[in-house]
Amino acid sequence: MKKLRGITMGLVSALCLAMATSAMAQGNDLSVGRKMLMEDNPGELWIDQGKALFLQKRGPKNASLEQCDFGMGPGKLEGAAVRLPRYFADTNRVEDLESRLLTCMTQLQGFDRAQLIKQAISAPASRGSDIEALALYVTSRSNGMKVNVSLGHQKEYDMYKAGEYLFYRRSGQTDFGCVQCHGEPDKRIRLQDLVHMTSKAGAQEVAATWPAYRGAHYVVRTMQWRLNDCVWQMRLPDLKYATDYSIALTTYLNRQGNDAVMQVPGFKR
Amino acid sequence: MAEPMKIRATLQGDTADVRILMRHPMETGTRKTATGVVPVHFIQSVIVEHNGKTVLDAQWSQAISRDPFLGLRVKGAKLGDKISVTWTDNKGDKRNDEVAVSAGS
Amino acid sequence: MKTTLIIQCSLSAATGLLLAGCATYPDQATTRQMAEKMVFEAFDASPAHMKRLEQDRSQQICSKVGDAKLSQEEAAEVVKLARASIQYPTSGQLSGDWKAGDRLAHDGAGDRIRNGKTENRKENGALCQNCHALAPGEINVGNVGTPLTGYGKQRGNSEAIVKYTYEKIYNAWVYFPCSNMPRLGATGHLTPEQVTHMVAYLLDPQSPINK
Repeated sequence: MKKLRGITMGLVSALCLAMATSAMAQGNDLSVGRKMLMEDNPGELWIDQGKALFLQKRGPKNASLEQCDFGMGPGKLEGAAVRLPRYFADTNRVEDLESRLLTCMTQLQGFDRAQLIKQAISAPASRGSDIEALALYVTSRSNGMKVNVSLGHQKEYDMYKAGEYLFYRRSGQTDFGCVQCHGEPDKRIRLQDLVHMTSKAGAQEVAATWPAYRGAHYVVRTMQWRLNDCVWQMRLPDLKYATDYSIALTTYLNRQGNDAVMQVPGFKR
Repeated sequence: MAEPMKIRATLQGDTADVRILMRHPMETGTRKTATGVVPVHFIQSVIVEHNGKTVLDAQWSQAISRDPFLGLRVKGAKLGDKISVTWTDNKGDKRNDEVAVSAGS
Repeated sequence: MKTTLIIQCSLSAATGLLLAGCATYPDQATTRQMAEKMVFEAFDASPAHMKRLEQDRSQQICSKVGDAKLSQEEAAEVVKLARASIQYPTSGQLSGDWKAGDRLAHDGAGDRIRNGKTENRKENGALCQNCHALAPGEINVGNVGTPLTGYGKQRGNSEAIVKYTYEKIYNAWVYFPCSNMPRLGATGHLTPEQVTHMVAYLLDPQSPINK
């Protein structure tokens, strides 16, 4: 590791030291460090990228996403993400943010759904995918607002209960359901803290911190990616993108996390 | 090629709390991919000016992470003062962005 | 989480009339049916890989939702099935090579699927470090499972302990039905021979875990 030269070393290290010593005094070192990483994390750079993509006329139909209805009427973004997943009459389905983006990008802009799905999850250290930037932008328009997933339509009730069932469903050679790792407080896998999802605080963390910047990947990641990665770890097959399985789990967890204050981009290791 | 920075400068008393996110790959020159080693590419110099006066002149190396964050506090700032940030990388690429100091919460 | 039904009727905004059908939480059987259908529609994989999604009888019992409790009968059934699943190595030697066990204990990889292919490895890791503290001084260890530091030192090397340890790793549900611990041997993640190495790693006085 090369030594830093010039005034920077003194300034930056003084800043870091000052912040670190006051923070360490307050509590658990790992959580303090993570909080510092979360504030002003590079994920914010994707918000402007997402906004530009949202407003730009794109696709075979040469249209922007300004007429996309995220549940509060076409083009209304404030407070939309905090109510997802929810039922949409035009597709007769409960959709989460990413499946709703797929719907709008295909219907309004004419993109091919299979192509969008293929490109939805970007490679680490890349510019990121369109969907990652768009999902972050749309969610950021609800920053500061409370998560508010409500159940009204029968399909919303169905998805919630199915998601709960799936959370506890054990399968594969690991005998893992989500609850095996996310059902107790103060647990970790190696040094990675496990969110206690069966508690109110844990569910709220799930509902309010995605999309998030994944430090190790240098890009923004979404809930669809996170579920795919968990399923991988459980030694199950490749989870397809935007399935009812994933939307059901998201409905359950987000509703359990109601009243959390949305704050994206989150920061994950 | 150089992409916009995200700069926030909020006034806390008589000090501007400046937070800068820069978009840059910051390649160390040792990372290997399927196609070979990615060449070294990093920000070498960062200059922060307050109303035209240099307040920070930094020389960086490839030890700094991708999409770097820089935070600093500038004393003697007032609302509306100009904070200008310029970075230059080892390929000669440059980026300048500026903001006005705004009210803190 | 209670499964009481809550009736909620939606009001038609335009007319203010109660709609004929009211939305409710689906009952347990309907939920199960819908969710199981979702599981099998969520993956495009080879028949062999799709099999991983099928639950065996014990998994079905052990997938209690919320704070639903395991009954005495269910627990007994899980234990019985677990005991029946135990296979011992052909050599009959339940304790193997602790050095191999040490390596496997710290190996969290093996048998994961990406783009239809499983990881290209000689053998599966035993995953222990992910959840358990192992040798003293190791920091990068999980705490989902009980600490195993000093396991052999505390228990000695009797035949009974060796057998217990083997069976516990092969199928933890023999001794603790519906434990969070994977039934490593019974599900085929580890071979009986690999389990013997884990036993040696835990019990051998020379093993770092007992230092």
